[in-house]
Amino acid sequence: MDEIVNVEAVSRSFPLDTNPAHHPAHSFVSALSHATLRVTAGEFLAISGPSGSGKTTLLNLIGCIDQPTTGRILVDGVDTSTLKPSSMSSLRREKIGFVFQTFNLIPVFTAAENVEYPLLIQDVSSSERRQRVADALDSVGLSARANQRPDLLSGGERQRVAVARAIVHRPALVLADEPTANLDTHNATQLIDLMHGLNRRLGLTFIFSTHDARLLDHTERIVRLCDGEVISDLLKGDSRG
Amino acid sequence: MAKFLLLAFRNVFRNRRRTMMTLFMVGGGVAGLLLVGGFFSFMFWGLREHTINSGLGHLQIFTADHFNRDEVRVLDTGIDSWRQVAASVKTGGHVRGVAPRIEFYGMVSNGDKSSVFMGTAVDPAAEASLGFFPTRFESGRDLNNKPGGEVEALIGNGLAKSMNVKVGDGLTLLAMTSDGALNGVDVQIVGIVNNGIAEIDARYLRITLASAQRLLQSDRVTNLVVGLDKTENTDLVAAELAPRLHGLPQQLVLKKWIDLATYYKQVRSLFSTIFVFLGVIVFFMVLMSSVNTLLMTMFERTREIGTMLAMGTPRAWIVALFMFEATIIGVLGAIVGVVAGNLLGVLVNHSGLHLPPPPGFTEPMNFRVLHVPSLMIGASLLVIASLALASILPAIRASRLQIAEALSHV
Repeated sequence: MDEIVNVEAVSRSFPLDTNPAHHPAHSFVSALSHATLRVTAGEFLAISGPSGSGKTTLLNLIGCIDQPTTGRILVDGVDTSTLKPSSMSSLRREKIGFVFQTFNLIPVFTAAENVEYPLLIQDVSSSERRQRVADALDSVGLSARANQRPDLLSGGERQRVAVARAIVHRPALVLADEPTANLDTHNATQLIDLMHGLNRRLGLTFIFSTHDARLLDHTERIVRLCDGEVISDLLKGDSRG
Repeated sequence: MAKFLLLAFRNVFRNRRRTMMTLFMVGGGVAGLLLVGGFFSFMFWGLREHTINSGLGHLQIFTADHFNRDEVRVLDTGIDSWRQVAASVKTGGHVRGVAPRIEFYGMVSNGDKSSVFMGTAVDPAAEASLGFFPTRFESGRDLNNKPGGEVEALIGNGLAKSMNVKVGDGLTLLAMTSDGALNGVDVQIVGIVNNGIAEIDARYLRITLASAQRLLQSDRVTNLVVGLDKTENTDLVAAELAPRLHGLPQQLVLKKWIDLATYYKQVRSLFSTIFVFLGVIVFFMVLMSSVNTLLMTMFERTREIGTMLAMGTPRAWIVALFMFEATIIGVLGAIVGVVAGNLLGVLVNHSGLHLPPPPGFTEPMNFRVLHVPSLMIGASLLVIASLALASILPAIRASRLQIAEALSHV
């Protein structure tokens, strides 16, 4: 199988003081330390760990919305540490889909328009956009709610729209940061099942973070983080930790 | 692009109360400019028509030497063949009439007291053909041209007061002839005039052309005044008449009313400067308050902008989005302002309001507002430009957000 993500000894630290002139070595906090991870295409991977363990930081780095302090990350074979901001933007636009904890839908757009947005910024023709949006909404079971604005949708529905938005442009990788954190158990389980189904049906690679242990039963591979370090990498029926 | 514009349009109405406040502010600025500009335009129009129709005319013909003349012997540089020139000009299109005049100065005396006058000699029939505003008489009547009749005169109410005379009284006029000799004629006052400008009425004297030519011992006139059907035709007629003045024994020049209306130009220049100043104030008022509003909008939408950037939206698109939104507010504000400004203008025009007489005038002034399309376009473009400019800072800030920080913004 093709390697879609390769995280090589990546660390990320943040300054405690935002003024760059006041940065003695001790005023940094380490969010991620020498993390190494390889993800092959079509995997359904959960990153788990308590709050502050570095899950979001790792996803941000894989998603090219942040840059590592040391180490390097390859996404679909591209070394992201050498990319200019505009190329990072293109990479995100074309190869990555995002699902956020708080859904982050554009409130003035309908569900269909939200799903259409990634295609809009890729300059996809309107007829193709229409078809792909219909397919994406159908795949998350929300065709009937296509013309509703987010404020008229339930939390579970909003997150399904977010999933449809994340997959509509057929990305190589879907990153979901705590996608179930704002959902009740029923909706959370449904969402994970939905993502898993899309992973199996469409062969999409999913990496999602969670601190909810109940959801980990639905995944095949679990990477555990603690205090910014990868403490285990478990494949069901196997252990690479 | 259409979807992006739709996004900008919907974003404008996300916070309706704030948008309405911004529209009121922008619209208020436009309406204010339209009311002030409309009033100034009415004032300019009124002053222009008053200036032209009070005797200046739309065009005047002089000899080329007229403007280098000796102020005392006014007919030294007068027009010789004025009858032929007048007849030729009269055949032009849009020409309502042509009137010969002598503008002269001298002394007026009632036997006990003397004063300076600024005199105009006219042909009453030719003056009537110009179709200007009728002379406003306090008492008496206009001049007439009865051959062999008495020498008649109209004087301003200020001059009548200072000379202590009334209709039917006699005065003696003294002026310098073309030969340099002092000459005098007796006149009988047939009318006392109120021009509405105190300084003019204190020196105003009008007699017939024949009387003035006898007084000044010359058959010449100082100028020919041309009245047109509409002021807007001035340039057209001037271009048409200019060639007719070439090839004559005397070199003649044609002057448009604007070249001779010094007071009008000064007033227009002063009020135009005031208007530009008001425009600058409105521009900065809209600019500063819009920057504040748009920055607030940007902070409220930080997470959303972060999401858009995370999905790969080019940063230039974020800049464009904010500028579109500001421009939409500018356009809507301009529409609100133009509608409100015109409605208020109609209300003002129907209110019958009057302003106190301006300095130097004796009559109250109408308070009216003209609906000037160029002013509406100008004021609209001003606020749209203000809004577009105001959006630059928030737009750039939004486009430079750190995505990870923006996504965690609460």
